[in-house]
Amino acid sequence: MLGYVAKRLLLMIPTFFGITVLTFFIIKLAPGDPALMRVQMQGMGKVDAQMAAQIVEETRKLYGLDQPLYVQYGKWMKRLVTLDFGESYADHRPVIEKIKEAFPITILLNVLTIIIIYVISIPVGIFTALKPQSWWDYGSALLLFILYSLPSFWVAALLMTYFAGGDYLNLFPIMGISSFGAESLPWYEYVSNVAWHLVLPIVCLTYGGFAFLARFARSNMLEVIHQDFMRTARAKGLSEWAVIMRHGFRNSLVPLVSLMGSLLPALLGGSVIIEQIFSIPGMGRLGFQSILQRDYPTIMALTAIEAVLTLLSILLSDLLYAVVDPRIRYGDD
Amino acid sequence: MATIKKSPSYWKMVWRQYRRNHLATWGLVFIAFLIVMALGAPWIATNKPLWCNASGSYCLKAPIPYTPTQYNLDESLMPPNRHHWLGTDEQGRDVAARMVFGSRISLAVGVVAVGIYVAIGILLGALAGYYGGWVDQVVSRAIEIMICFPTFFLILTLLAFLGPSIYNIMIIIGLTSWTGIARLVRGEFLKLKNQDFVQAAIALGASDSRVIFRHMLPNALAPVLVSATFGVAAAILIESGLSFLGFGVPPHIPSWGSILSQSQEFMDIAWWLTLVPGAAIFITITVYNIVGEGLRDAIDPRLKV
Amino acid sequence: MKKRTIVALLALAFVSCISRIERDPGILVRNLMDDPAHLNPYTNTSAYASQVYAYIYESLLVADNTTLAPKPWIATSWEVSPDGLSYTFHMRHDVTWSDGKPLTADDVLFSVETMMNPKVDAAAQRSGYKDLDHVEKIDDYTVRFVFKRLNFRAFEMAGYLTIIPKHVFGDGHDFNTHPANFSPIGSGPFVLAGWERGRYVNLRRNDQYWNHEHLPRLKGIQYVIIPDSNTSFQYLKKGGMDYSDNLRSVQWVRQTESAKFKERFKKYKFFPPGLAYIGWNEKKPFFADRRVRQAMTMMLDRQKIVDKLQYGQAMLVSGPGYYFGVSYDRSIQPWPYDSKRAVQLLDAAGWIDHDGDGIRDKDGVPFRFELVYGSGSPTGDRVGTILREDLSQIGIDMTPRPLEFSALIKMILAKDFDATFLGWSGGFPESDHYQLFHSSQIDGGSNNISFSNKEADRLMEQIRATIDPNKRKELHYMLHALLHEEEPYTFVYLPPALAAVDRRFTDVTAYPMGFDITEWGFKPVLRYME
Repeated sequence: MLGYVAKRLLLMIPTFFGITVLTFFIIKLAPGDPALMRVQMQGMGKVDAQMAAQIVEETRKLYGLDQPLYVQYGKWMKRLVTLDFGESYADHRPVIEKIKEAFPITILLNVLTIIIIYVISIPVGIFTALKPQSWWDYGSALLLFILYSLPSFWVAALLMTYFAGGDYLNLFPIMGISSFGAESLPWYEYVSNVAWHLVLPIVCLTYGGFAFLARFARSNMLEVIHQDFMRTARAKGLSEWAVIMRHGFRNSLVPLVSLMGSLLPALLGGSVIIEQIFSIPGMGRLGFQSILQRDYPTIMALTAIEAVLTLLSILLSDLLYAVVDPRIRYGDD
Repeated sequence: MATIKKSPSYWKMVWRQYRRNHLATWGLVFIAFLIVMALGAPWIATNKPLWCNASGSYCLKAPIPYTPTQYNLDESLMPPNRHHWLGTDEQGRDVAARMVFGSRISLAVGVVAVGIYVAIGILLGALAGYYGGWVDQVVSRAIEIMICFPTFFLILTLLAFLGPSIYNIMIIIGLTSWTGIARLVRGEFLKLKNQDFVQAAIALGASDSRVIFRHMLPNALAPVLVSATFGVAAAILIESGLSFLGFGVPPHIPSWGSILSQSQEFMDIAWWLTLVPGAAIFITITVYNIVGEGLRDAIDPRLKV
Repeated sequence: MKKRTIVALLALAFVSCISRIERDPGILVRNLMDDPAHLNPYTNTSAYASQVYAYIYESLLVADNTTLAPKPWIATSWEVSPDGLSYTFHMRHDVTWSDGKPLTADDVLFSVETMMNPKVDAAAQRSGYKDLDHVEKIDDYTVRFVFKRLNFRAFEMAGYLTIIPKHVFGDGHDFNTHPANFSPIGSGPFVLAGWERGRYVNLRRNDQYWNHEHLPRLKGIQYVIIPDSNTSFQYLKKGGMDYSDNLRSVQWVRQTESAKFKERFKKYKFFPPGLAYIGWNEKKPFFADRRVRQAMTMMLDRQKIVDKLQYGQAMLVSGPGYYFGVSYDRSIQPWPYDSKRAVQLLDAAGWIDHDGDGIRDKDGVPFRFELVYGSGSPTGDRVGTILREDLSQIGIDMTPRPLEFSALIKMILAKDFDATFLGWSGGFPESDHYQLFHSSQIDGGSNNISFSNKEADRLMEQIRATIDPNKRKELHYMLHALLHEEEPYTFVYLPPALAAVDRRFTDVTAYPMGFDITEWGFKPVLRYME
């Protein structure tokens, strides 16, 4: 087992290099650079060409953007070894500090989202599998697909206008993750304040995820239901409920574990729009803004961190897989 | 899994199986309708008469007698009425005409983007599965690299740098989404490679490309088709999301996503502007998913009950 | 099931009630589109940060609210040398930084030296002071700015220079990453009181403010960071904030008409100097001919755009000058919307569909071009699509192309565009068009459309050299008439500034450049946090 983990960790290194090199060259080779962002348009759209040339040249020198690409990449890598992500071009703050602020928020959002998705969709999937091709099966499938198909920004805008805006119902807050000044409240009120703020964003992040997981759970369950050990269990005289719960459920859970690994990157990307709409200062919004500002160090750091996280979560779910399913053994293969 | 090369009767069987699912069958009818609408858009929504009799005294008007770009600022933000079935937008353009033309973009994005990534995925997956060894290692590493990018973030980065255009959107979605298909095909090929008919073909001296494309690929195609159907739905959703963030198609081209994102600021005074494209997007995506699901049930005999 | 829903809703309502937080009525809550990167006036490049530090840092002079002319502030008096190259400012002795230290000539000197240091990430600010030679300290409260050459804006450049504290920034720490960029010490009426990234920036009244006469009555300002403009509008409507000055016409006219909104807010409208225009690049084969440019203007229905898309709030203009300023001749009417005359002009200019492909052409070049503008501008999208549709009717193929800001600037600098739709707001009421339209500014200046006209050159030179305001007005009018005829730009409209302010604030005046919140008072009306 340890040998397997070590091997997997070693294999991550080339992947990690691949990701960073790719990101680095994509953002550098494409037109537009941070030096140009320094050029301001004064009134009337005045852009002084001489002035601009000078600004661009000075800024490029300051950031080392005038050096060859491989030198820039090498320098970035060298700093990374000491876990130094450099300084943001946008505000000269250490990139790591910006990420430290955004990370917990996104993790809070995504962990809650994943939990809710699993808690709701697995039972739905299993129960639909018990009565396949019934109206209940069709109905829930249709409902889940409809949910999956609703564009989240559209739903977010609708919810915001009708449930949180000033004109219709005003039940929920419209932005952020807590009220201003909520920090001074007693902890239980603070928690309820945050929870109240999270309702709409979490709704928008979760509803689309039900379909995939529920359908997946359904097909797993269908597969399990017809296997011999289930028949044996029934033959032993166990009640149908006990058969389903003890044998069916456990065995159908196995492939679901492996999904966790691929769910994380999807959610990190998917929360860009929601974080933007609800003004939540998480990783998605940070990434989006860094792209717009051509803030190379922040983009690179975000990609690197997200890549490592994803690699680790894939590894973790593979290992979990082995724990859940004793038939799988990772050894020296 | 069938162990012999799948004959045309296999597809017949799949079709028979598929027909049993009424919802999925109607979904297919709906997709056919969308395709007809997309192809026929220039004749469905135009301000020119479709046909006139010899004297010109009688003309046949198009069902939607407006072009998608024809504006009339005096008819700005009109709710649905006798002339404009689905109302008008802030420039007084007919929403129905824009929706009809928008279906072209949305479908094109879906089909072309998926076409690109299916091609890439099949090629890489087949190579990895067939040759194994270092080829497999390289492809697997590439797949891992792509998986680790949050796809939506990667698409945004690329679009920000390349500039938004309908072609860039198609190409970028295509270039970033091929991993699923590649893994699928690789898996199928690993299974198929040891089967007798493949080994026989190799023993008979068939070239690699012949073995891959004539003997193995047709057998691996069914799951790819299922995945591609879901992919079209996902691509349409991505396009609308990009439009919302301002990275969508140029403003003079109507796409469902761009119509929807332009309606944001009028949400509380023009419900039809939000409702129509939003409903069109989610109905289409729902239908694609139902068709994909139906296809999977029909293809995968394990799930037959 | 139903019961449970009701219980759940009640629980939520309860939760929302206990979480309500009272707001201090003396604190103005307003929105900011983006987090300020930092609050350093020299390394800053965002317009958002300057909205915040404008209340923290000060300069020797300030612009008068109504006349917009420079008036004494930290400097009480000044002298100009006979050659017009050096400006001596006498400073007040009682000005203090918010930490109690006095503000002296050393701080002014330090500010200039910092800005001029090439290691400092302030290239944009530096480039504006190219003509400044050096600054001398005469005594602790007297400074002299010496310029290399005559510059009609020299006085304002010196007077409006932001002063930063030497005792804070001069501690040897790298200026670009100085901790004080995030905890500024200024001399202004407000000080930074709190800042949470991505959420808010809080300013508190500087109770030790040296200028007792202008000590604000408001206790503070809270800037709430809301990047999405629809969200920020909803937030205003539900009462989360007290103030917005970037409402769109449709919002101001149609979406804020409810009794509830009007009861809470008062709406204001003013016209700071500004312009929305289309610039035609004369380096391109299409637009070198005046007749083509006039035809383009006549193809754009500006009156309808103002009436319908701007809901009648913007103002139609016929020239680049500020409509309410001295350089605008109101007797000159904008060109009409007239496609027949446009076609005649295009025919006369030789743009005829020779090859019968439906697109006009001349010398084998088809009339096919791109209109570039900043992405995320709904107005750009609308003007672009409308113009495209109208031009397509007369055989011209125009494609609107939204570009990100840096890509747009790059294109404009390289003069590699056909036409561009731009808009701006703010600036000086008496505009100097030399940089924009003088032929000497084509290379290395701001004449990005390469407009070149001898008569216009002569007029612009004269305007710069004329001291007598009446004489200058005459020249301005002549230039306006000429530019209207030459139409280097299609002048579309003067954009309005549309605002809403909570009615609990008193003494609110909308000046041409906006509000002066240091004048405001407030009634103690209770509001809640959202």
